[in-house]
Amino acid sequence: MHNVISLEKVSFRFPEDELPVFEKVDLNVSAGERIVITGPSGCGKSSLLYLLNRLYPENCDGIVSGKVELFKKAAAEYAPGEINQRIATVFQDPDSQFCMQTVEEELAFTLENVKVPVGKIDERITRVLQETGLEDFRHSVIQTLSGGQKQRVATACAWVLEPEVLLLDEPLTHLDPVTAKEFVAWLRELHQTRDLTVIAIDHQVELWDGFFDREWQMAPAKVSSRIVKREPVHAGKIALSAKALAVSPILSPISFSLHQGEIAVLAGPNGSGKSTLLKALCGLKSTGGSVEPKRIGYVPQSPEFLFLTKSVRDELAFGGGDQVDEMIERLYLKPVSEAHPFAVSHGQKRRVAIGAMLCDGRPVIVMDEPTAGQDAAALTELENLIKARANEGVTFLIVTHDMNFAHRTAETLLLLKNGQLSGQFKPSAVWQNAQLLNAHRLCAPSGGVRFASPHESFG
Amino acid sequence: MLHRMNPSVKFVFITVSMIAMAFFFNPWTPLVFFTGVIFMQIAFAKIAWKTWSLMMLPFLLGAIGYFWTTLVFGNEDSTIGTALSLSFRVLAFSSLSLLFVFTTKPVDFIMSLMQQLKLSPKIAYSILVGYQFLPVLKDEFFQIQQAQQLRGVEVPKPPVKRVLAMRHVLIPMLAGAVRKAERTAFAMEARGFTGEGKRDFYRKISVSRADAAGAVLFLILLIGSMAAGFLS
Repeated sequence: MHNVISLEKVSFRFPEDELPVFEKVDLNVSAGERIVITGPSGCGKSSLLYLLNRLYPENCDGIVSGKVELFKKAAAEYAPGEINQRIATVFQDPDSQFCMQTVEEELAFTLENVKVPVGKIDERITRVLQETGLEDFRHSVIQTLSGGQKQRVATACAWVLEPEVLLLDEPLTHLDPVTAKEFVAWLRELHQTRDLTVIAIDHQVELWDGFFDREWQMAPAKVSSRIVKREPVHAGKIALSAKALAVSPILSPISFSLHQGEIAVLAGPNGSGKSTLLKALCGLKSTGGSVEPKRIGYVPQSPEFLFLTKSVRDELAFGGGDQVDEMIERLYLKPVSEAHPFAVSHGQKRRVAIGAMLCDGRPVIVMDEPTAGQDAAALTELENLIKARANEGVTFLIVTHDMNFAHRTAETLLLLKNGQLSGQFKPSAVWQNAQLLNAHRLCAPSGGVRFASPHESFG
Repeated sequence: MLHRMNPSVKFVFITVSMIAMAFFFNPWTPLVFFTGVIFMQIAFAKIAWKTWSLMMLPFLLGAIGYFWTTLVFGNEDSTIGTALSLSFRVLAFSSLSLLFVFTTKPVDFIMSLMQQLKLSPKIAYSILVGYQFLPVLKDEFFQIQQAQQLRGVEVPKPPVKRVLAMRHVLIPMLAGAVRKAERTAFAMEARGFTGEGKRDFYRKISVSRADAAGAVLFLILLIGSMAAGFLS
C-alpha cells in the first residue's frame, strides 16, 4: 500500500514559545489504514493533526522543520483550501463547528467552498444524507440537535467532500459513553461503504471497540502521580440533606442526604435534570422543598464562570474567608497565587474555584461535569484533589458520565432519569445491574482499568 | 410582498429614502412619509403590531422630546413648524427602520449582501457565525450571572450600576467566545473555506417582480411626500 501521509523528522514550534511542541516525529500512514494517535495532553497531538489538514502552520505562524508529505507532495505546495477536499476533519466540540443554521445549508456551504457546480449540489446533499442515514434532518436547525447528532452532521459535512483521508480530532469527548459507542458503531458502518484512511486522536481508545488497525503513541503517557488514599467516611454526621426538592416541570420532588466527607456521583441521561438539580441545591433556582445547609459550593464545568478578581489570592479571599493562605498552601496554588485566575491552567482554575468555595465556608461542593474532555493525567489530578478534600471532611456531589471515574472515586451513586431520582446506590451494585445502567445511558467501568495505564499497541 | 423583496434592494431603497428625507425641513414631508410607511406595512406585510408598537414607543417618546426641546430651548428661528418637522422625521426614520427589521430575515439579508452587493464572504460568513452564537452566548450569560450570584455578587438595582456590573459577566463570556470563534474558524477552513470572493451559491437570493413592485411603491411614497412638502 502506498503512503498517503508521511512525516519525517518533523518538529513544530509556536513562534512565541522557546521549546518545540514536538520534535523529530516520524509517521507513515498508508492508504486505507485506520490509526489512532494517543498521548498525554500537551504532547502536540492536535498540532500534528492540524499540520495534516494545513490549518497549521499558517494560522499560528508556527515553525515547522522536517518533511511533511501529503499524497507524496510536500504539504507547503498545496494552495489554501486545496488539501481540505482530500483530507477532511471532524472536530471535538459539537457546538462550534458549524456556521449555518440548517443541516442542508451547512452541507451546501461545504460544497460551495470546494467549488462543486451549483447544479450538482442538491444531488450530492441527497446522496450523503442517504449514506449517513440523516435524511430526516435535512431541514433541521443544527442548534436544536443533540451532541451525538451534531457530531454525525459534522461527519456528514466531511463525508460529502468525498475525501481520501478523514481526520477525527477527539470526536467523542463531549458525548456521553452510550452516545459515543453509538457514534462509533455508526461510523463503522459508514466506513464500510467507502474504504478511506482514518486518522483519529482520542484518549478513550476502548470506546472505539477495535475500530482502529493500529494505535500510535505519540509520546509516552506521563507517569501518573500517586493516587491519594481514601479515608473511610465517618458515618453519622449528615452534611447535606435535600427534602422534597422540586423544580417544576423539570424535577419531581427529590429527597436524599449525604454524610460529611462523602463523595457522591450524580449520573443520568442528558436532559434528565442533573444540572437543574445542582442549581436547585445551590439555591440558584426557585424550588419547592428544602435544602440543608443553605450555603453550598458550586463549581461549573468552566470554573472561570466564577471568577471576579484579578489574582488567585483575591479570588480565594473574595468571600471574606480567613484561612486564605492555608488554603493556597493546601491546594498547591502558591506558585500562581498572584497570577490572574484566567491565565492559569484548567486544573489550577478548578482548584481556585474549589478553594474559593471552601474559603467562603461552603463545605459541601457540587461540581458540573468536571471530567468532560479531560485526559488521564487531568483525571488523576481531579481525583486526587477531590479525595484529599473529602478526607478533610468536605462533601462532594459530582455530575459525570464517566463511570470509570465514579468507580474510582465515589462511595455513592445517585441516578436521575426524567427528573426523578431512581435511587441512591452503592456503585458496585450498579455495575452489575445492566438494566439499571442501560436505563440511565451509562457504561459499566472497564474493569476499573485506568486510562492512565498505557494501552497495548495492537497491530 | 415586502417580505418577498430582495433584502439588498429593500436596503438600498430605504437608505436612499432616508437620505432624501434629510433634505426636507417642512413638517409635511416626513409626516406623509411616516403615514405612508405604516399604510405600506398594513397593505403589503404581515406585522406583529403588538411588538411593533412596543419597539416604536421609545422613538415616539424621543420624537415628543425633540418637539418639546426645540420649542422651548431653540433659538428664535425655530417655530412650531421646525419642531414638528424634527419630531416627524424621527418617526419617519424609525418606522422605516422597523419596516426593514420586521420584513427581513437576518440570514437572508447577509446572504443577499454577499450575492447582490458583493460583500466579501469572509465578512458575511463571520456575521452568520456570530448570529449562530447569539443564543449560546445568551445561555452562558445567565449561567455566569448565576454562578457569580452564588459568590455573593448582587445585581444592583439602579440601571447604570447594573450595566457597569455586567462587565464581570462579560469578561468570562467573551473569553469563552474567543475560544469558540477560533474553533469555528478552524472548522470552516478545514472544510475548504478560504474567504475568496468568487463563489457560486446553492441557495440564490434573487431579484424578482416583487422588487420592481416594491421599488415603484417606495418611489411613489417618496415623490408623494416631497410633493406634500412643496405644496404646503
